[in-house]
Order: sequence, then C-alpha cells, then structure tokens
Amino acid sequence: MINLLARALMMSTPLLYGSIAEVYAERTGMMVTAIEGIFLMGAWGGFVVTYLTGNLFWGVMTAMLVGVLTAALYGWITVYLKQHQVVTGVAINTLVLGLSAFFMRVIFGIPITPLTIDPLPHIHIPVLSKIPVLGVILFQQNILTYIVYLIIPLSYFVLYKTSVGLIIRSTGENPEAVDVAGLPVERIRFLVVLLAGALGGVAGSFYSIGFLGLFTTNIIGGRGWIAFAICFLGNWNPRGAFFGALIFGLAEAVGIYIQSSGVELLPNELFIALPYILTIVLTVARRSFNVPAKLGIPYKKEN
Amino acid sequence: MNEKLRDLILTDIAAVLLGLILSGLLMLFLDKNPIQAYSVLFTSVLNDKYTFAEIFVKATPLIFTALAFAFTFKANLFNIGAQGQFYIGAIISVAMSLFLGDSIPRGLALIIIFALTIVGGALWGGLIGLAKARFKANEFLVSMMSTYVALAIMNYLLRTKLLETKMEYPQTDPLNPSVWLPIFIPGTRLHIGFILAVVVAIGIWVLLYKTPIGYRIRVVGMNPDAARLAGISASKLYVIAFMISGGLAAMAGFTEVNGVQHMLVQGFNTDIGPAGLGIAILANANPIGIIFASILFGALKVGGTIMGQMSGIPASIIEIMQGFVMIFVIMSYFVRNEIDVRREKRKLRKVVGQ
Repeated sequence: MINLLARALMMSTPLLYGSIAEVYAERTGMMVTAIEGIFLMGAWGGFVVTYLTGNLFWGVMTAMLVGVLTAALYGWITVYLKQHQVVTGVAINTLVLGLSAFFMRVIFGIPITPLTIDPLPHIHIPVLSKIPVLGVILFQQNILTYIVYLIIPLSYFVLYKTSVGLIIRSTGENPEAVDVAGLPVERIRFLVVLLAGALGGVAGSFYSIGFLGLFTTNIIGGRGWIAFAICFLGNWNPRGAFFGALIFGLAEAVGIYIQSSGVELLPNELFIALPYILTIVLTVARRSFNVPAKLGIPYKKEN
Repeated sequence: MNEKLRDLILTDIAAVLLGLILSGLLMLFLDKNPIQAYSVLFTSVLNDKYTFAEIFVKATPLIFTALAFAFTFKANLFNIGAQGQFYIGAIISVAMSLFLGDSIPRGLALIIIFALTIVGGALWGGLIGLAKARFKANEFLVSMMSTYVALAIMNYLLRTKLLETKMEYPQTDPLNPSVWLPIFIPGTRLHIGFILAVVVAIGIWVLLYKTPIGYRIRVVGMNPDAARLAGISASKLYVIAFMISGGLAAMAGFTEVNGVQHMLVQGFNTDIGPAGLGIAILANANPIGIIFASILFGALKVGGTIMGQMSGIPASIIEIMQGFVMIFVIMSYFVRNEIDVRREKRKLRKVVGQ
C-alpha cells in the first residue's frame, strides 16, 4: 500500500510538470496542443544525451531544450502566424513522432539489443525519509519529483501574487487591455509557450530517464494529452492541477500494480484505459469551468 | 479560374514540395541521396501497376477519416477521435464478417456488415456529440480520449473473444473470401472500397452544400449566434454531426478489414486519424478536395515504404513527410491570407486612385 502510494506520486510527477505547463500557457489564451509531441521530444532528447554522455543532468537539460524548440515551432505558427491551435498541434505531434524514430536510427543505427540506461536514482532525504509511512511516500523519490514540490507553490505564488502572474492571466482574459497598457500580447504568449515547452520537455524525460531507462516512440502514449486534460479539469489553476495529477498518477499506479500482480479479475486493458475513461467521465461530470476567455483565439490588433 | 482557388492550389503544391524537400534533406543524415531515393520512388511507382494501385488502396481509409474530421470541422467542432471510431468500425466489421462467413450471399453479407459498421461508429461518435450537447463537455478532449478507450477495447477483444484459433498472435482468424470486398483491377489489391470512398465523399459534399441539414451545420459552424437566432438547435446538430463523423471514420474500418487485411491485426493503421486531419486541412475541408489530398497522402505512404525497401530509409520518413507537409500546409493558410489582403488593398487603391 505504501509502495503503491509512492509509485502513484512518482507517476503523477510528469503529469504535474505537463499540467502546470498547460496552466501557464492557457492562462495567456494558448492551448499547447503540441504537448504530446513536446513530451515525446523530451523523452527522446533526454534519453539520447544521457546514453551518449552518461550524464543524467545533461539529459534533463537537453530534454528541456528540445521541448523549448518544439514549443517554439508551435508558438511561431499559432501566435505569430495566427493559425489554428488544435490543427497545428496535431501536425507537430505527427512530425515529432517521425523525427524521434528517424534520429534514433541516425544516431544508433539498428541496435542488436535494446538500448538502456540507469534511470534517475531515488534519493533518500536524510531524516525526513525515516518518517514512518510518509517518509517512504514523499522523501524517497527522484530529483524531478522533489523539484515539483517546489514548482507547485511557486506557480501558485507567481500566478496570483505577482505582477507577472497578473499579466499572464490578463493576457488570456482581456488581451486588448494588456495591449492598451503597452505590453506585447504576442511576445507574452510566445514566451509562456516556450516556458511550457521547457516544463513539458522535462515531463517527457521523466518517462525515458526518470524510471524506464529506455526510449520507444510509444513511450508517451497519450500522457501529454492527459496532462492537457488535467489542466482543464483542474480549472486552470495549480492547485487543481496538483490534485488532478495525483488522481491520474494513482490510477496509473493502480493499473500497473494490478497488471503485475498476475491476478486477472478484470481485463488488464480496463486498467490501461482507466486514465482515459476517467478523463471522459470527469470532463462530462464537471459543470462549472472557469475557462480563460480568449483560450484558443489568436490576438488580432485592430488597425 | 477564380483567384482564391488558384491561390489554394498553388500554395498547396508549394507546401507539399517544401515538405518533400525538407524530408529529403533529412535523408542526408543517413548518407542517402534524396534525389536518387525520390527518383527510385517515382520510377517504381510509375512502372509497376501493383505499386501504382497501392496508392489508391492506401488513400481509401484516409478519405474516410479526412471526411470524418472535415464534417465536424464545418460545424466548428473538433473530432480528433477518428482513429478510435475507425477501430470501432474495424471491430464490428471483423466480428460480423466472422459471424456471417459464407452463410449468406456476398452482396447481402457486405451490405449488412457495412450498415452495422456505420451504426457502431455513429453511436460511438454520437456519444461524443451528446457529451458536448448535453453536458457542454469539451468535444476535442473527449474525442481524443475515446481513441485510447477504443484501442483498449480492440486489444482486449483481440486476445479474448476475437483471438485466432491458433491462439498464437493477438489477431483474428482470416475472413472467409466470400466477405472480401471484390478487387476491381486484377493483379492489384485495389478493391471497390476506393470507389465507395469516392462516392461517399461526393455524397458528403451534396449533404453539406445542397441539403437543409448541411446548411444548418455550416451556419452553426460559421456563426452560432446567428444560428440560434434563426431557430437552429445547435445541440441537436452537434449530436448529428458527430454521428455522421463517427460513421464515416468507421467505414474506414470496413474497407480495411474486408478490403485489404481480411482479418484484424493488433496495431495496424495507427496513424490514419491524424493523417486524415492533415488531409482535411490540405483540402480546406472540401469533400472533393479530400479525394485528391488523400491520394497524395496515399502516395507518401507507398513512397515511404518503397524508399525503405529500395534505399534502406526507415519507415519513420512517412510520418516526417506527412508532418512537414501538414505544417507547411498550415503555414500556407497564412500566406494565402496575406496574398488576399494585399489584393484587396490593391483593388481599393485602384478605386481610390480613379
């Protein structure tokens, strides 16, 4: 049970990075529908560089970089060329699926045995990890999970207590006002999309170098979309994203636990599909949404 | 030719060429000569009847998934779940085909299978529309998630109820030849599903542009407020649009199972949903344009496979070509808009100048 909860927290870590990324971006009116592709590029970049250098730090940094690059392409087309966000996202997701597989081949050829690396180690925090129950769950995780502990309160603070947060939120609610105040709406949106790319890249690397220690092109398998969904379900705020990610992490951990237990009471596929079913149910059940007013709408200056 | 159509065709061609050139440059990373790879591709496509026909075989399911996306797009709805509706269609087609076997005449059997497949896809898709209409759920999100649910259902059935009698691989038994779609060019795999797809595309064009329901769908898409004032119930149309869209995507399952695979295999055609979206965008969501854009994407698929066999270029080049083409097509919307604005300005200046 304790192990299951520790596992749930671990599985929710990348979803947290991803959904916080979406919260920031969507608060400025930008849906980052390329999130699935950003996750995949992060997983790919993180793995490749870690494998080649043997250094997990550079792996995570690369993941961040390729996440930013993918987001930059997305941001350029949607913010500056003002093209449709859903359509652009699907196109980029298709492209990076091909690119990641193609460059695995370019870099590694056709390997005889699957390429693996040692994933990020679990760090036992002195004293705290000795606390019964909670210590195992909270303080025997890897570094990315510890960072996420800081990101959530920080995001909350930035979004609601600082002028930067006010600008971000206003850009999604009333870009005209932001423009009149002399602030560049498009640049704000573009920069926040880049930030989302950095966070999303790290999220993706969690799957390849955070715990699996390998890369396949189906490693993300819709989890970027789940992070996207968590942002919606969490009502576009960091607290909602936090609880949402925990629920989905738990669903995933339970699924893995039941599959590996070997007892088949219900079909395994049901547990694989559980996060997706959960998303549908919650999307349908949830009534009051606090959608940013200009979500998905490009900003066009009146001349 | 009207200026806008000319712009559309010219910018689309430019987008496709740019996509192919960029993909070609990537081949240099593998020390492959892209010019040689592309010329091998063209000669083998043009010299070989089987390969040439294969383009249309690959285009067939794409026409359906592209129509599925385009149809809801016209109502300003996003059905990103065509992949899942295709899986549902494939499941129903294979189950019914195995069940019917050669018990009834081919024509009757095929009609029954086709009809039930559409019903299944329409129900699956209709649920998304219902979630949107009744609960104001985000249809984009729900349709995206429904694909993964459909995939899980298919994988479950493939290892239980539909598992082959040898029980070796997660796939079904081969279908009885009496429920195969007839081949219409001997010596190839080109089956009448392609003709069906073309007919359906024309039918969808008629439905959208020549019938009251199509008119209502377009009005809701273009201006929901005006639609409401005109007494058009948007929520009812959401359900109808998604039912039709789901039915269209499911048809791809029918033509793939009964026309090409003659069985259901785990993990086949995993990208026709996203590709369909790209095609719909390339064709500006026009059903007739979709036929041609699908043939182009079919050619990319066949071409990618040939390059793999002849030049040792990995199959991922197909997704790269599709992805680049899609991205350049999206950019071409921007370019066309710019051209349009400039043209209007020129006209205005002329008028003012006089």
